[in-house]
Amino acid sequence: MSDVPANGGYMIAAYVVVVVVIGGYVLALLRRAARR
Amino acid sequence: MTGQTDRLIRRGFVLTGIGLAGLAAMYVMALQFTPTEARQGLAQKIFYVHAPAAWSALLAFGLVGVASAAYLWLRDPRLDRFAESSAEVGIAFSLIMLTTGPLWARPIWGTWWQWEPRLTLTLLLFFLFLGYRGLRASLTDPSERARFAAVVGVLALFLVPFVHLSVYLFRTIHPQPIVLKPSAPSLPWGMLRTLLVSIGVFTVLYLGLVTVRYGLATRDDEEARHV
Repeated sequence: MSDVPANGGYMIAAYVVVVVVIGGYVLALLRRAARR
Repeated sequence: MTGQTDRLIRRGFVLTGIGLAGLAAMYVMALQFTPTEARQGLAQKIFYVHAPAAWSALLAFGLVGVASAAYLWLRDPRLDRFAESSAEVGIAFSLIMLTTGPLWARPIWGTWWQWEPRLTLTLLLFFLFLGYRGLRASLTDPSERARFAAVVGVLALFLVPFVHLSVYLFRTIHPQPIVLKPSAPSLPWGMLRTLLVSIGVFTVLYLGLVTVRYGLATRDDEEARHV
C-alpha cells in the first residue's frame, strides 16, 4: 500500500481550468478577429 | 497599415497556437515524465500550472505599469494600447492563478483560502485590474481614458514586486519562491525541468495573446479614425 495521498481530482480540475480559461480567451479573440 | 495590422494579428495567433501545442506537451511531461511528490501526491503537479500562471500574470501587470509610465512621458497611443492588452491578458492568467491556488490548498493546507499576505495582495491586484478595465470602459475620450488608466497602471506597478516579496516580508503560510530567489532553485531536476518548460510555455502564451489583443486594439483604433 502506498502512502502517497489520493488527490488526483484536484490536479485534473486545475489542469481543466487552465484549458477552459486560455481556450475560452483564444476563442473570444478569434471571434473578435473574424468580426469586421 | 491595415494589412500590417492583420499580419500582426495572424502572427499573434500563430504564436498562441505554438503556446497551446506547448501546453499540451507540458501536460504530457508533467503527468507522464515527472515524478510524483511523496507527501503531496498528484496535487503537487498543480504547481506546474499555478506558478507559471502567476509568473505570466505578474509579468503582464508589471509591463502594464512600465508601458503606463512610458505613456505618461511620451503620450504615444501605442503604449496605451499595449497596456490595455497586457492588462486583459494578465487578468486571464491571474484567474488561472487564483483558481488553481485554492485547488492545491484544499488537499494540502486543508482549506481553500487563507487571508494571509501573499493571497490577499494577489486578490487585491486582480481586483485592481478589474477596476482598471472598468475605468477604461467608463471613459469615452481616448486621451482622457489613456491618461487616467496609465495612472492606475503605474500605481499597480508598485504592488507587483510587493506581491513577489510578500513571502519574505510577512509571516505567511504560502510556499517560498523556488526559482526566482537569490540562491539556487530548491527542486529536484526532474521537477525543475517541467517547471521551466511550463514557464516557457506560459511566456509564449502571454506573448501570443498580447500580440493578438494589441493587433485587435490597433485595428479598432484605425477603423475609428476612418469613421
